[in-house]
Amino acid sequence: MRRLTVAGIVGLGLLLSTGAVILVLASEHEDNPIFTATAFLLMAWAFILGGIVAWRRRPDNGFGLLMTAVGMTVPIGALGAANDSFPFTLGYVFGGIFIAVFIHALLAFPRGYLETRLVFTIVTIAYLILTAGSLLTSFFDNVEDNCADCPANAFLIVDSPNAVAAINVLLIAVGLPALAASLFVFWRRWHAASRPVRRVLAPVYLTAAVTLALLALTLLVGTFSEDAGLILFWILIFCFAAVPFAFILGLLSGRLARAGVGQLVLDLGKPHAPGELREALARALGDPTLRLAYWIPDTRSFADLEGNPIELPEPDGEELVTMVEREGRTVAALIHHRSLEEDPLLVESAAATAALALESERRHAALAKAQARNRALLDAVPDLMFRMTRDGVYLEVKGRAEDLAVPPSELIGSSAHEILPKDVADPLVEGVRRAIDTGEIVTGEYRLELDGRLRDFEARIVKAGEEAVLIVREFTERNTAQAELERLHLELQQRHRELEHERDFAGTVVDSTPSLLCLVTPGGYIVRFNHSLHQLSGRVDDDLTKGNAFWDLFIAPEEREAVRRRVLEVAEEGGGGEYESTWISMDGSRHTVAWTTTPLRDDKGHPRLLICGVDITDRKEYEAELRRSRARLLEASDVERRRLERNLHDGAQQRLVSLSLALRLAQARVADDPEGADRLLSQAAEELSQALEELRELARGIHPAILSDRGLGPALEALAARSPLVIEMKLVEERLPEPVEAAAYYVVSEALTNVAKYAEASSVAVSIARVNGRAVVEIADDGIGGADPTRGSGLRGLVDRVEALDGGLEVESAPGSGTRIRAVIPCG
Amino acid sequence: MAYRVIIVDDHPSFRATAKELLVAEGFEVVGEAADGRSAFEKVLELKPDLVLLDVQLPDTDGFSIATELCKHNGSGPIVVLTSSRDAADFGPLVGQCGASAFVPKAELTGAALRAVLR
Repeated sequence: MRRLTVAGIVGLGLLLSTGAVILVLASEHEDNPIFTATAFLLMAWAFILGGIVAWRRRPDNGFGLLMTAVGMTVPIGALGAANDSFPFTLGYVFGGIFIAVFIHALLAFPRGYLETRLVFTIVTIAYLILTAGSLLTSFFDNVEDNCADCPANAFLIVDSPNAVAAINVLLIAVGLPALAASLFVFWRRWHAASRPVRRVLAPVYLTAAVTLALLALTLLVGTFSEDAGLILFWILIFCFAAVPFAFILGLLSGRLARAGVGQLVLDLGKPHAPGELREALARALGDPTLRLAYWIPDTRSFADLEGNPIELPEPDGEELVTMVEREGRTVAALIHHRSLEEDPLLVESAAATAALALESERRHAALAKAQARNRALLDAVPDLMFRMTRDGVYLEVKGRAEDLAVPPSELIGSSAHEILPKDVADPLVEGVRRAIDTGEIVTGEYRLELDGRLRDFEARIVKAGEEAVLIVREFTERNTAQAELERLHLELQQRHRELEHERDFAGTVVDSTPSLLCLVTPGGYIVRFNHSLHQLSGRVDDDLTKGNAFWDLFIAPEEREAVRRRVLEVAEEGGGGEYESTWISMDGSRHTVAWTTTPLRDDKGHPRLLICGVDITDRKEYEAELRRSRARLLEASDVERRRLERNLHDGAQQRLVSLSLALRLAQARVADDPEGADRLLSQAAEELSQALEELRELARGIHPAILSDRGLGPALEALAARSPLVIEMKLVEERLPEPVEAAAYYVVSEALTNVAKYAEASSVAVSIARVNGRAVVEIADDGIGGADPTRGSGLRGLVDRVEALDGGLEVESAPGSGTRIRAVIPCG
Repeated sequence: MAYRVIIVDDHPSFRATAKELLVAEGFEVVGEAADGRSAFEKVLELKPDLVLLDVQLPDTDGFSIATELCKHNGSGPIVVLTSSRDAADFGPLVGQCGASAFVPKAELTGAALRAVLR
C-alpha cells in the first residue's frame, strides 16, 4: 500500500473527524459535547488506524479496507449534533450506517470477503435497516418529542409515534433474526477453528459479540426506556471502539498472521482438489503470486502438479523461496513475493501447517510426472491403443487418425458393433470379455478396409480393472511382404518359362539366320556352330569338329595365323572390330566373309567368344563389277570425246580451213583469172555444204536436239528416217524421264548402227513400251545373229549406261536367228 | 629463184589448195606427203628449202618429224609447222621441236612463209 494512499486516507479521516468534532462542540442540543466528540474521535480513529495497519499487512485482504470504511463512516453520525434541520436529519437517518459496515467487516473476518449467501443476506439486512429503515422512521418521527432542543426533522411527513413504534417493531422483527444468524455464523466459525486459531479469533469475536449483544440490547431496551437505551448505547460505543484495538494488539504480535494460518488450517481440514492448496496458501500468506514447487525424489528436481519441471528462482529477484520439510525430508518449496520476508513467522507457520498437505500433493505431482512419462512412452509406441468396456464401448483411443475407421471423437462412446463390421466386432468384443473374465492376454487378428485399402491388424487384449486395453498392431506390411514374395516366386517361374521359350527361340534364330555363327572358347576352340556355317563349310557340328581350332577348320590356310591372332586378342583384351577373311569349305570353295568377335558367357557362365560372320562374296563381286562398270562408263565417255574431237578436226575443221584458203585464192584470182576464181568458188560452196552436213551429224552424235525438244518418239523417227534400214516403229506416246529417254535413244541408235554394220538384216522392229513403271526397249532384226555383248565397246557401253539407271540389258543373238536386244529401265 | 617446198598433210584437199596458193604466190611445190614416213623419204630425195608440216599425221606427229629434220643444224630444210588448231593448243612443243615457225592453216600465205625465210 502506497504512502500516498495512506496519506489520503489519513487526510480524509482528519477532515471527517475534525468536522464531526466541530459539529458536536457547536451543537445546541448535545448534552455532553466533549464526551460525544471523544467518542467519535475514538471510534473513527480506532478503525481508520486499525484498518490501515491491517491493509498494509494484507493488501489483498478486504478486511483492512472494511475496517477503514467503518472508521470513515463513524463521523456521519456526528451530523446528528448539527443545529440545522437538514444536516441534523441526515445524521438522524444515516448516522448508524457505520454499524452496518462494522457488521460487514466482522462477517468478512478473517478472509476479507463474504463467504456464504447467509452472511451476505445478514449484511444486506443490516445495511437496509440502517439506511432505508431509519429513512422510513424519519418520515413519522417528530424528533422533538425526545429532544426538545433538537432541530426539526426535515423529512417529517406525519407525526405519528405509533407509526414509529410499528416501524421499529418491523425492523426488530427483521433485525433480530439477522443478528441471531450472525451470532450463529460466529459460533460456527469458532467451533470449527483449532485452538491456535481460536486464540486469534477470540478477542475479535469477543468484542464483536459483546458489541452486537449490546446493540441488540440497546435496540430492545431503547424501545422501552430511553435513558437505559442511552446508557447502553454509550457502553456500546466504547465496546465498539475497543474492537480495532484488539485487532491491532493481535496483529502486532503476529496473531493476525496466525489467523490466516488458522484459516489455512480450516481450509486444509476440508477435502480439496489438486491446486486448491496453492490458493489456500496464497490466501493465508496474502500473496496471490505464490507458486508451489514439489520435490520429485526420482528426478531430484522440482515440478508442478502436472509434473512440469520448475526452476527455483535466484534469491536476489522479486521472489523468495521457503523450503517445506517434513520429518527431515524436503517436500516442496514455496515461491513467494519478497514482501513476505518481513513476516518470516507467517511463511514458516504456513509452510509447517501445509507440510502434510504438500507432501500429499507432492506425491500427486510425482505421480503426474510418472504418468506424463508413461504417457510420453505410450505416445512413442506406434501401436494403436483402445480402452474398451466389457460391452465393447470405446472409452479411450490413442493412435494416428489414418489408422482409425472414424475420428477419435466419434469413436469414443460408440460400441465396436457400431464402428466395425460384424465379423470383426463379434470376435473383438468376445475377446474383450474373455480377457476381462479370465485375466489372460487374448490375441486375435482382423482385417479392415480403411480408405479403400485392406489392412491387417493384430490385437492384444489385456484386462485393466473392469475394462480392457487393446493394443493393436498393423501387420499389413508383413502380409504384403509375404504376398510380394509369392508374387515374386510366380514371376520367377514365369520368367523361367519365358527364358526357356527365349532359349528355344534363340536356338531357332541361331539356326535360321543367314549369319555364320560359331561359338568358341577363349582359346579359339569350337564349341558349336550354326546351320549357316554348316552349309557354307560343309562341316557338321558334331564331336569330330568340336575341340578343333576355329581357324583350322574354316579359314583359308594363308590367313589362319592372322585370324588366330585376332581371335586370341579379343579373348584377352575384349572389344574387337570387323575383319574380312577368306573362309573355306570342305569342297575347296572360298568365300569372302566379314566377321566380328564378341566376348560373352554361356548359360553356365563360362567365358566364350561368338564369331559372327556374313558371307560377302557376292557383295564383293557386285562391288567389283560396279567399279568396273564405272571405269567403263568413264572410258566410254573419254573415247567418245576423242572421237568427237577427231571428227571435228578431220571433218568440218579441215573443210573450213580449205574453204578459207580457197576463198583467199579466189580473191587473189578474181581480177586476173575470173574463170579460175569461179571454179574455186564453186569448190568452196561444195566444201561449205559438206562441212555443214558433217557438223550436223556430229551434233546429233553428241546429243540429238530433237530428243530433248520433242521427246523419244520424234527423235527415234528422225533416226529411222536417216537410217538406210527398213524400220518398223512401235513407240510409247508419253514422255519418259530425260535420262531414261536418252538411254533408250542411244540403245536404239547403237543397235541400229550395229544392225546396219553387221546384221545383214532386211528389216528391224523397234518398240518402246512402259510396263509396270519401267521402260522396255526392244530392237529385233532378222539378220544373221551371233552378236556377243562381251565383245566390242558398243554393246558393253550400252549395258553400263542402262545399269547406271538400275536397269538391265539382254542380248539374244543365236547365230541364224537374228538379234534381239532388250533393255528394261526403271522410270522412277 | 623460187623456194622449193614440200607439203606434208594427210588431207588431200588441203594439200591441193595449199599447193595452188603457194604456186600462185611464186613458190615451187616440189613434192607432197600424206604421212611421216613418206615425208622423210621426200625430204631426203628432193632436198627442199622448206617443209610445210602438218602437226597431226596418221602415223606420227609433226613435232617428232620436225625434231628429226632439224637435228643436223643448218644442213636440213627450214621447217614450218601448220595446223587447223591454234599454236596455243600445243604450248611449248612448237618452240622445242626445232621448227622455225608455226602458221595456222587458215592464215597460210606466201608472205607468211617468206617472212620465215628471211
